[in-house]
Amino acid sequence: MFLTMKVAFRNISRQKKRSFLLAGAIAFGMLAITLMNALTGGAVVNIRDNFSHALGGHVFITGREWTDAGQMIMKIRPDVNLDRLLEDNASQIEAFTKRSQAMPSLIFGSQQTMHIVYGVDFAEEDKLLDSLVVTEGSLDELGANDDVIILPQPVGERLGVEVGETILIRLETLTGQQNVDEVKVAAFIKDQEELGLSAAYTSRSYLNTLLGMDPHEYQILNMFVTDLDLVDGFAKTFREGLRTSEEEGEKDDEPEVTVTVAGVPMDPMTEPEEITRWEGTRYQVMNINQIMEAVELIVGVLNQVGLVIFLILLVVTMVGITNTFRMMMIERTKEIGTMRAFGMHQKQVKRIFLWEAVFLGLLGCLAGLVLSGLIALVVGSISLNADPSLQFFLNNGKITFRLPIGSVILNTSLVVFTSLLAAYWPARAAAKMSPMKALSSHT
Amino acid sequence: MKKIQFIAAVVLCILVAGFAAQAQDFSHIEAILESLDAQSRFDGLDFSSVLTMIVEDPDKGIEKMVVRQFRRDDGERFLLLIQEPVTEKGQGYLLEGDNLWFYDPSSRQFAHTSLKETFQDSDARNADFGSNSYSSSYEVEGYLEGTLGNFEVYIIDLKAVDDTVPFPYTKIWVTKDTSLVLKTEEYSLTYRLMRTGLFPKYTKVGDVVIPVQMIFVDELVEGQKTQIAVSEISVSPIPDHVFTKAYIERVNR
Repeated sequence: MFLTMKVAFRNISRQKKRSFLLAGAIAFGMLAITLMNALTGGAVVNIRDNFSHALGGHVFITGREWTDAGQMIMKIRPDVNLDRLLEDNASQIEAFTKRSQAMPSLIFGSQQTMHIVYGVDFAEEDKLLDSLVVTEGSLDELGANDDVIILPQPVGERLGVEVGETILIRLETLTGQQNVDEVKVAAFIKDQEELGLSAAYTSRSYLNTLLGMDPHEYQILNMFVTDLDLVDGFAKTFREGLRTSEEEGEKDDEPEVTVTVAGVPMDPMTEPEEITRWEGTRYQVMNINQIMEAVELIVGVLNQVGLVIFLILLVVTMVGITNTFRMMMIERTKEIGTMRAFGMHQKQVKRIFLWEAVFLGLLGCLAGLVLSGLIALVVGSISLNADPSLQFFLNNGKITFRLPIGSVILNTSLVVFTSLLAAYWPARAAAKMSPMKALSSHT
Repeated sequence: MKKIQFIAAVVLCILVAGFAAQAQDFSHIEAILESLDAQSRFDGLDFSSVLTMIVEDPDKGIEKMVVRQFRRDDGERFLLLIQEPVTEKGQGYLLEGDNLWFYDPSSRQFAHTSLKETFQDSDARNADFGSNSYSSSYEVEGYLEGTLGNFEVYIIDLKAVDDTVPFPYTKIWVTKDTSLVLKTEEYSLTYRLMRTGLFPKYTKVGDVVIPVQMIFVDELVEGQKTQIAVSEISVSPIPDHVFTKAYIERVNR
């Protein structure tokens, strides 16, 4: 075995140019599929991270209830059951936030703009305050006054307002009534519009007052979990724990995902289904994986397409390998005859050829992986000033490459297998060659 | 002792007078509200017109909209079909009882909307295109007598009885002799003036009196206002199929 491997390796290094071209063809295919897999893998991770960041968590709980007038509104009242679930699962929760949200018109003089405003409990949201990059003003005033707002810098510029000045905030209450109030601009923050993070912040109790809610109520509970792999089970625990006895008899499916911005669904509302009213609050628990399902589906399709292209490249390369190995067999007829004359078995001759194919395949794979690593390193270090819609695929403006080890193993196995397949018939023909005929050959 | 009794009597008198003042009789004002509602309803008649809206926006400048209006108050139905500008042509609002649908020809989909929403980017609300509902949606909080220009008016403070109207507080100027609303001021939940409505011209169609010129001024955004002129008024019967979703889809084919 070792002897055949040694001879095979020597044969490859004997014909450097030819080996280089064959391995190069394999390397090109490997490079393409590796980059494709790494790119989509990185994009999935970035999209998941960016979504989590933009939505403020991995698991999201909203509550709905009916008003006496027959309107369905979105709010969560203080709930012992929910608090108990939070307490019981505290070890799996990295952080959680209770927020209200609205999409009001912000008005200053004759300028107005609509912008998402989160009502947050500043005393509890240290993480948020740490992440905000203040460009003007200060966050010190937040604890002292309720009717202050933190605006993204571009929003302030659009309105033409200065820090310390007062703007109007116009919105609808949860039941759709008009409301307006004056709010003082406490600070400007760096905008992260590209990540869907362009939000203004005010105190939750203040926003609640404008929305017609009690100060201790909220609209969405966002949770970051400690282990993303457990997010489905974690969400299920809350979904089941918050289900009312009325809901028990109803469908057990996971809720359909509707991505919303400030409570406004991104997809158009079609005819409302006939909904039976219920008493109290009904909860909807969603997690980041449900939102990512569509993205992962697209990525899966892309990877499949990549694999098909890779296989086509391999088939083309396979034809090349077969032809080259046939040529090699003819070139080495005398050598084969000599080896056979010196007692080498047919199997050993075959193995030499097959090991050559394996080495070529592995060399090609290695070269492809190294090359794709280098390309990923260079491309990944470039900060792209891309279109805002593309920023969701990037990590701080940079392309990220994440290569799952499974795809490396799969692709390498495919290359080795096709190389072996391509070399099999020439190898068999070489093995079956008669030593006498081979020695008397003129080649 | 007599002195204490005297003081107690005075305090009692003041309290009684206060309560009496509070429990003012608003029945004649409520009657006015009922007549305002009644004279704005086309009972047993269909109504159609063309609305020409001039929207003044400090940012976008002046925009003109032309809207064809079909209205049948029996059954609370109306259809508003946008004819101009070209970019919005074919969009429609269909009211069927409690449901208001917005149709967008570009997506060919109906979306549920509300009478409380603004009409397009104007200062008018969808509810402004139907009949009045002052007597059922509001309760009288107080009133004053005064003048508006040359007109003797009641200035009536109203408070919404529920959440079905967009503005929780409204003040209306109603002529004493003809019971026409000349001006409205609408306030937010925090009692801040949000919109002023002016109704300088009316026309009589049968027993119904409708404003043919309306001006809505946004009191929060400087320079933002919408003027609406009503023309081509008709009370000819409108076919039933006009108040259907299929009709809006058909006119867009």
